[in-house]
Amino acid sequence: MASFAETGPGRPVVESIRVDKVSPGARVTGAVRAAVVLMIAFIMLLPIFVMVETAFKTRIDVASSPPKVFFQPTLEGFVFLFTERANVSPGRMEEFKQKAATGQMNFIDQIAFQSGQEITGPSQYVGRIINSLIIAGLSTVLSVVLGTMAGYAFSRFSLPGKDDLLFFILSTRMLPAVVVTIPLFLMYRQIGLHDTHLGMILLYTVFNLSFAVWLMKGFFDEIPREYEEAALVDGYSRMQTFWKIVLPQSLSGMAATTVFCLIFAWNEYAFALMMTSEAARTAPPSIPSMLGRGGIEWSAIAAGSLGFLIPVIIVVFALRKYLLRGVTFGAIRQ
Amino acid sequence: MATIELKQVEKKFGDAYAVKPMDLTIKDGEFIVLLGPSGCGKTTTLRMISGLETVTAGQIFLNDKNVTWRHPSERDIAFVFQFYALYPHLNVRDNIAFPLQAQHESQRVIQQRVREVVDLLRIEHLLNKRPGGLSGGDKQRVALARALVRRPAAFLMDEPLGALDADLRETMRAEIRALQLRLNVTTVYVTHDQIEAMAMGDRIVVMNTAVVQQIGTPTEVYYNPANLFVAKFIGSPGMNLVQGNCAEGVIHLPGGNQYPLPDGWKNSIARGEKVIIGFRPESAHVNPNGALKGEVYASDMHGSYAMLHVNMDGDNVVHLRADRETRYPIGSSIRFDIDAAMARFFNPQNELALRKN
Amino acid sequence: MATATAETSATKTQPRAQVTRRQLSDRAIMNLFIWPTLILLIAFNFFPLFYSLYLSFTNYVATSPKAPTWIGVENFANILTDPKLWEAFTTSGRYVLFSVALQTIVGFSLAMLVRGKFRGSGVVTTLILIPMMLSPVVVGLFWKLIYNPNFGFFNYIIPFINPADLDVIGSRLFDKPVPYLALAGVILVDVWMWSPFVMLLVLSGLNAIPDYLYEAAAIDRASSWFQFWHITLPQVMPLLLIAVLFRTIEALKSFDLVMGMTGGGPGNQTELIAVYLYRVAFLGQFRSGYASALAYIILIIVIAISNLYIRYLNKTKGEA
Repeated sequence: MASFAETGPGRPVVESIRVDKVSPGARVTGAVRAAVVLMIAFIMLLPIFVMVETAFKTRIDVASSPPKVFFQPTLEGFVFLFTERANVSPGRMEEFKQKAATGQMNFIDQIAFQSGQEITGPSQYVGRIINSLIIAGLSTVLSVVLGTMAGYAFSRFSLPGKDDLLFFILSTRMLPAVVVTIPLFLMYRQIGLHDTHLGMILLYTVFNLSFAVWLMKGFFDEIPREYEEAALVDGYSRMQTFWKIVLPQSLSGMAATTVFCLIFAWNEYAFALMMTSEAARTAPPSIPSMLGRGGIEWSAIAAGSLGFLIPVIIVVFALRKYLLRGVTFGAIRQ
Repeated sequence: MATIELKQVEKKFGDAYAVKPMDLTIKDGEFIVLLGPSGCGKTTTLRMISGLETVTAGQIFLNDKNVTWRHPSERDIAFVFQFYALYPHLNVRDNIAFPLQAQHESQRVIQQRVREVVDLLRIEHLLNKRPGGLSGGDKQRVALARALVRRPAAFLMDEPLGALDADLRETMRAEIRALQLRLNVTTVYVTHDQIEAMAMGDRIVVMNTAVVQQIGTPTEVYYNPANLFVAKFIGSPGMNLVQGNCAEGVIHLPGGNQYPLPDGWKNSIARGEKVIIGFRPESAHVNPNGALKGEVYASDMHGSYAMLHVNMDGDNVVHLRADRETRYPIGSSIRFDIDAAMARFFNPQNELALRKN
Repeated sequence: MATATAETSATKTQPRAQVTRRQLSDRAIMNLFIWPTLILLIAFNFFPLFYSLYLSFTNYVATSPKAPTWIGVENFANILTDPKLWEAFTTSGRYVLFSVALQTIVGFSLAMLVRGKFRGSGVVTTLILIPMMLSPVVVGLFWKLIYNPNFGFFNYIIPFINPADLDVIGSRLFDKPVPYLALAGVILVDVWMWSPFVMLLVLSGLNAIPDYLYEAAAIDRASSWFQFWHITLPQVMPLLLIAVLFRTIEALKSFDLVMGMTGGGPGNQTELIAVYLYRVAFLGQFRSGYASALAYIILIIVIAISNLYIRYLNKTKGEA
């Protein structure tokens, strides 16, 4: 048999590639690699797939062992998550059965009725999600805005003790949440900010601010000063050059910072756990507590987790170009 | 020692040609230059010879052995990259010794060869340094040393001087050429700089848009360009090219000029045909009684001579060499002659040079 | 509009004098931009830190109406001799060590595998990032289900045993307690979540390596090992170090994941420092004074490490 060195590959090579990379050995290696990658990707995504599946399982299916891969999907988990229910009293049972039979019951009510319950209103979780939206959203906006301003100042002006200040700001971000909450918890209790939206927004803003400042400073450092100098010579004021010239160029940096701050604020659990109890409680601390309320509501938890994940995925997908930069604190450009 | 032969070697990317099928025979000890503008295919050709790029069709022979599909390290060639490609975390000595170590040569041989090569290139003072701290010229010398240490049959160089400053380029040019002559190693050298090609090459392969335009010695390529591209590309500035109409033994040129057809060309150029006349700046002489006239558009001082830009009529600006003593004010009229023996003619349709009859 | 008579340069030093009343001077802008941030940071960082420092020298209990009384360094002495604390430290130490080491290895290997661009590699890379974007407490909760001996699939893929025999969360195998099993379970999840992060960083380093280095190596007939050790690794090292430092700091802070998955149990097998601190400060005893002292110790350790990290990060960015 003629070797590769003598005959070359079977068909003409029309891409840019080295001779040793088209040998049969190289082709096999390439195929094996691709296979391994796919396998790993599958393993990585398997738990997520499990979560998605569980969200659509009935209580019975969840508790089956061995775990079911194929099952009849249902929205039971979602209904349990978003509604408060009460058992239908025996007296009204007939009435409900009739409604169900004649198709007068809407589909959500039907699901509740399948477990012998009727819907009495939205669950606590709905309120929690709303809290999450408000608190994460507003705190992100605040930290990005303030962070941009301070980042610009740190970048363009010299301040006494600038580096030490920046370092200090950053290192507070490195502490375990619990360390910080002990004094803050007491402080908040005194001022009356405990379990308030304002309190949480401020807290998240501050926590993200250190990073936002540091990130934005880095981004501003990369914008050449010549643009501002030219504008200043042309007669623009500092403020105008900031608005019209510098800020537009920093938008991608702001997007990266937003991604980062949003992911943190949205997923945050420790502060929410310790600094809120009812009124301002966000979703993350609520999800685990759904365990053990009249049984282990895994499907509700899965539904909650899934629902909770979706906004993050949307935002990240929209800002995916900036994701790499944001998540690695500006260390890498794409 | 090596001869290199390319037989119908071509490279396609998808349906587009990067190198159209080409034949080339390189003799042992020859310094051949692949010259052309960016994207002409010269680097791709070099990389195919080295094995860093596969051929789409055709065959490559080194010393009559078919190496078309051999691993780059099995072709007995050394490659010098434009950006040096020195291993950043090895010092200079280890960089140079590396190719021999990879082939498991004995320590004694390695040390001896390294010393030889270091002496040749005068870089003893760099041996313990890392590439990161070296100047461009030094880095290139180290890269050359690394290539030399293997005593390859052929050197392949990809614009090695491209990243250097102009004056350093001139020095290195001479060094490389002297080295090559001394060692008599077959060398294939890629560059876009025609001055470099003319200065260094035994033969030049002029390429443009994937096609070989001409293969010849610097003299051939300079004095007898095969087509309009070569005429314009070689020389600084390139050959003057003016289109005219041939009538009774005379070519009618723009600006009301008439140029008598020199002897020996009368049969090559038919009456009534369009023809392009080509002449180099140094073969045109300012002469108050000259046959051709034009208007001075600009003049550059070039040290020992002046380069005049002369407008023959609107669209046709030609370059003439003149002495630097005389003043040629802008806008003034000027007359000049073209040395008949140096004049060349081209067919405007196919752009090829016409032959003397 | 300014009638600037002298050249104005984007200044680092001299604040420009006000030119017209309608413009803000450089100094004013600087103040306007920085003070809101500074005020917030002072209020939420400085202030609590001093308060906390004060508390650490008291025996304050948050749920009792008694005011804090000064007890000097008694808290610190108790802390340093508290065996439960040292256990928490060692547990955290093991967690950080194994978690970061495994993440690094897996992440690096993944990057090496993925680096050759093949069709769909962009999509796959994005998908692999999803675990990183989830709330750790939710992830912990989920893996609690996955590890469940009865309904989770994890036990079904372990060979040689009956699924019901293994209880990762409860740290039992064949109904006998197995030390560190629960901790290993937590570490596995952490590695699952964060390897993609390491992969991402390493991948960007890999993609920045110029091809011609590998080409020169090919012509010199360098072995794959040589190419890895002398070309790939040195170029990737800075980013790898960033990843390791960052993940180390985060692993020391780790709280959410454990709370979602094991709550610190069984017993205190997965009681990381942050979890221990939480239990002391907020559950049961609410010993704020004691907890503050502990928090301070942790503070100092973390600041030391993060100092390293930030300096290194700045150095790398400076070179970039």
